[in-house]
Amino acid sequence: MKPLSYVQVRTAREAIEAFVAAGESARYIAGGTNLYDLMKLGIEKPAHLIDIADLDGANRIDTDGDRLFFGGAALMADVAEHPVVRDDYPVLAESLSKAASQQLRNMATVGGNLLQRTRCPYFRNGANGAYPCNKREPGSGCAAIGGMDRSQAVLGASAACNAVSPGDWPVALMAMDAAIELQGLDGPRVIPIAELYRPPSRTPHLEFTIGREEIVTGISVPKTAAGRTSTYLKVRDRESYAFALVSAAVALEMDGDRVRQAHVALGGVATVPWRARPAEALLRGETLDRERALEAARAAFAEARAGRHNAFKIELGARTLADAIINAGSKSR
Amino acid sequence: MPDPQDRQPFDLTRRQVLEAGTIVSLTGTMLPAAALAQPAGPRPSPENGMTVPLSFHLSFRVNGRPTALDVDARTSLLDLLRERLGLVGAKKGCDHGQCGACTVHLDGRRVASCLTMAAKANGRDVTTIEGIAGANGLHPMQQAFIDHDALQCGYCTPGQIMAAIACVKEGHASTPEQIKEYMSGNICRCGAYVGIVAAIEQAAPRIERS
Amino acid sequence: MTPNRNADRPRIDAHEKVLGRALYAADQPFPGLLHAMTVPATIAKGRVLSIDTAAALQVPGVVRVFTHDDFSQIRTTPAARGAYGQPGKGYQPMTAPQVRHRGEPVALVVAETLEAAVEGAEAVTVRYAEDPFSARMDDDLASPEPDAVSPLASGDAEAAFASAVHTIDVEYRHPQQHHNPIELISTTAAFEDGTLRIYEGTQSAAAFAGGLAGMMGMEPQALRGVSPYTGGGFGQKNGVQEQSVLVASAALLLRRPVKLVVPRGQLFHTASYRPHSRHRVRLAADGDGRLLAGIYETVQQNSRYDGFASDHGATPPRMYGYGAWRGRERIVRVDTQTPGHQRAPYEHPASHATECALDELAGALGMDPVALRLANDTQRDPITGKPFSSRHLADCLRRGAALFGWDRRTNQPGALVAENGDRIGLGVACGSYKAAMTPSVTTLRLSAGGQCRIATSGHEMGQGIRSVIAAELIDVLGVDPDKLDIRIGDTGHAPQHLTAGSWGAGSAAPAARAAALKLREELSQLTEAALSDEPVPVQLARTRRPYLEVSVDTVPLGKDRQAIEQLRRGMPVTTGPEYPDFLAFSWIAHFAEVHVEPSTGRVRVRRVVSVADCGRVMNRRTAESQVRGGVVWGIGAALREVAECDPRFGGVLNNDLAEYVVPVNADIGAIDVDFIDEPDSRLNPSGVKGLGEVAMVGAAAAIVNAVHNATGKRIRHLPIRIEDLL
Repeated sequence: MKPLSYVQVRTAREAIEAFVAAGESARYIAGGTNLYDLMKLGIEKPAHLIDIADLDGANRIDTDGDRLFFGGAALMADVAEHPVVRDDYPVLAESLSKAASQQLRNMATVGGNLLQRTRCPYFRNGANGAYPCNKREPGSGCAAIGGMDRSQAVLGASAACNAVSPGDWPVALMAMDAAIELQGLDGPRVIPIAELYRPPSRTPHLEFTIGREEIVTGISVPKTAAGRTSTYLKVRDRESYAFALVSAAVALEMDGDRVRQAHVALGGVATVPWRARPAEALLRGETLDRERALEAARAAFAEARAGRHNAFKIELGARTLADAIINAGSKSR
Repeated sequence: MPDPQDRQPFDLTRRQVLEAGTIVSLTGTMLPAAALAQPAGPRPSPENGMTVPLSFHLSFRVNGRPTALDVDARTSLLDLLRERLGLVGAKKGCDHGQCGACTVHLDGRRVASCLTMAAKANGRDVTTIEGIAGANGLHPMQQAFIDHDALQCGYCTPGQIMAAIACVKEGHASTPEQIKEYMSGNICRCGAYVGIVAAIEQAAPRIERS
Repeated sequence: MTPNRNADRPRIDAHEKVLGRALYAADQPFPGLLHAMTVPATIAKGRVLSIDTAAALQVPGVVRVFTHDDFSQIRTTPAARGAYGQPGKGYQPMTAPQVRHRGEPVALVVAETLEAAVEGAEAVTVRYAEDPFSARMDDDLASPEPDAVSPLASGDAEAAFASAVHTIDVEYRHPQQHHNPIELISTTAAFEDGTLRIYEGTQSAAAFAGGLAGMMGMEPQALRGVSPYTGGGFGQKNGVQEQSVLVASAALLLRRPVKLVVPRGQLFHTASYRPHSRHRVRLAADGDGRLLAGIYETVQQNSRYDGFASDHGATPPRMYGYGAWRGRERIVRVDTQTPGHQRAPYEHPASHATECALDELAGALGMDPVALRLANDTQRDPITGKPFSSRHLADCLRRGAALFGWDRRTNQPGALVAENGDRIGLGVACGSYKAAMTPSVTTLRLSAGGQCRIATSGHEMGQGIRSVIAAELIDVLGVDPDKLDIRIGDTGHAPQHLTAGSWGAGSAAPAARAAALKLREELSQLTEAALSDEPVPVQLARTRRPYLEVSVDTVPLGKDRQAIEQLRRGMPVTTGPEYPDFLAFSWIAHFAEVHVEPSTGRVRVRRVVSVADCGRVMNRRTAESQVRGGVVWGIGAALREVAECDPRFGGVLNNDLAEYVVPVNADIGAIDVDFIDEPDSRLNPSGVKGLGEVAMVGAAAAIVNAVHNATGKRIRHLPIRIEDLL
């Protein structure tokens, strides 16, 4: 890690001005659990850090209006423990409380977590040139394709990259149609969360659609009764403190016994937080049983493509999603 | 050509080692080892007289004691505590937020000090394992760890205890299952988990929730 | 004096540890300390063409960049990593412009601060010429060595197997796994009192005095190895590490103290690990379940250059009364760093294979697995015909079965179902580990004020050796535990022997006991009267002497005085399992209850019951912890841990604690421990056998057998992961 300058700022305006003044090698830092980690690995090399964790009001959590609002610098632990989130939106609370450890959730922000980079080992371990990686070094190739790909994506991969999008919270937000509030040089704007992420395509190094100087100032989630009928199910290689092999975020709008509308997203299996529309379509108007849930879940993986060691994720993913659908549905009774 | 195995690689004798030791003791600039006996509080030391390339003036409280010093902006809170302030209770086990051995409290909340940039502690309170025992004895969690033998090699123990105290204060110690989940960020390779859960159950009623 | 069998007291160093005051190797402060960082090789095999250090030397704070040019005269001796005591074996990186495994250090940057050292290491540019290599045992370029026929054989196993009605012929595979003690391996070299002191968390301080001195061509007296606390060893800290001599040499050349804490990611490539192995097991039995024959053949990964032999066949033939036995071992050489001893190094993989095969045999016979084991219990070693010094394995099985509720189990897989629909499986397996001992030179000083200081051989890495020593001093002298000063792990206090192989308690307890008894005897001679039951310090105070000091050499059973000389020279001297009149082992039975989630195949170990025969239990509290730790290791080995290697690159891909998944708190259910607690007085005066290793032996097999009982699936490789049970 090279020497760097570090400033703490109070407002988004100040932050953007500092960013522009610092030039190309500037980065915002919030909790730092991902950025500082990647700096230690030699993957991120900022010369100037602008700390936006303490922007005035940026940790605000507001559940009073018709939307839930989470300031970009609200801590993952605080959002997970918020009574309204915990009681009325278990899918959101669980996606946070099942991520990382309490130590890291006390540091990481809900805004920064949206921008967490992949855990692909060829990406993380190769800063010294040990492995090629198109995401780390565009054009160098992808060692994961045809390699040890047990943890790699089965959905959304390209010939250039099959790295998994690692987050839990973005998956839950995807299911809940969250909107991301940004502030940049040209002022504030709002985008649906689905528009935040770029599939790898031929440019896996471009992961997000937002400008480098833009700040995630907030996340809003429309209030819905489906929040109570929701769940986040995460399957991993140990019971806690591990990234997902497969995760499923499910929220159901119920009409008596029938599903009026399902909201389904998948994690651990795709290159971006993955909205599973085919599963949602099959669940619409159905009464829930294990068979229908599994049928819908399999539809979510109809386009999945396995590599050498990750085919199990397709079956595991379908079963996990089916379990999540049944689990969410059981909350409507 | 003589067999290289027969030569003295460094041509150093006991006398020269003695001399080297003398040189060091004359030029040494850091703190005396005796200072280590002090239980709590920081002891800032210069970075071997080196001018830090890009420094940040850090002003914070460590175990209640106000502390101010210039730090290399790259430095982690863990390395600052251990290498500059002589507070070596927090341990480095992974340096990437993956083991919990470096757990300290920042404004009363548990964090991984290895992934916390030292500069982020500016204006805040840091509490380490050295700062939790009272003047008259152990913190109830420390005593509970002894009672239930919730440790073996002891290396992860400071992090476990700091996490355990926070776990109780957060209100995450109401059932064994909850304790296990909320203590899973602290790896104990010796496998003292059963004792750790028992210790937290014992100490929890004696610790106030925040 | 008869040893006390009811000790249950706090771990003797727990107080320091909960206060954060126990100082580990990297915690020691030194004036003017320099920080070092290694540059790891990014190829798996080849030559170093050039090393450009210019940019690194420009980094403010960097003092020096060392390369192979600086260290070419370091010797490869029996102490070098991977040599395992054999001259000409082993490998010391950075002594030549070559790379023999991915991740080995090719340069060492030393700087005034840690940050500068890291920056400097990142700025070093190395050019390589890469050679073809094999990183895995199954790769084309891997080099198998000729089979070695085990000397442990009895009867005509082939013939017995060929003519038997009930046979099993299966192959079990064990993956590469890594110790990962939470204390990172580090070396600090500093000058004190005219010696170069090496602070390294280790199980062998002697390796850092005599061993390093040999590698550096120095006089052994010029070095002192110091390791009062080791933050977990598990066999990974058995000796000199790849970076040790580099740091020591850097300190000498710079004439300043130097510290290197090796990053976790690099340790997967420089420190030892449990090698990949394959185990073919053939068992034959008659209709009553009597074992007629066992044939056991293993293949184990090794590095190109090390002396690490396979010894998987040492314990299985002693487990049961086999009618005939034959074994064979093979190693396959690949381009990795040297593997090594990891907790129950051979016994755990061997028990995985053989105890699972036995479970398969029980299934084939329609016999209860506990009954099958009891039917083949033996009080004599089937190989030599000698008796065991003590063997309460049948009692372990019976008591464990009762505590566990084994009678719930049937041979029908999937018969037990939990309320939530999980399939419940119950499994059993047994283990053994040789009871070994080493010599000690011990000095004991008791002051009239009650202070008691002992200096002896041993390393505290969490197993509780200080508590074992304390138990004997308290037992014999009635000293106050708070007034004990136990000096171990330091060649400046007493000659140090490697602490490994579960010989710690069996060596340190008799040493402490002998010293304490000698002190009693001398006091008795002084007072010219027999001592009373009062604490000895009180009786000493009456003599008006300020203190009494004794020294005693303890030589283990079957060895002579030469052992003490070897110890003083830093050479290993170990005994067991075969002694003149008997064989000595510790024994254990594990019972595991697993719950398998039907939809995802997730396995959860809800409860384990383990009953051990380790001779006398020195301290109930720390002994229970040790067994629980062994069980946690069994859970990790069975269900979690595997080093992933991409054969195109070599090295370990999942080289951190996020992706190399060791058990966390939420993985662990109830672990109930009990002991037979019968002192083995034939072995040593303390009556103690070992515990740390046997605790793990069989634990993984019990879990695998339980998974079969739950699912009907017989998984013959580790770890069992989700994809295996979908």
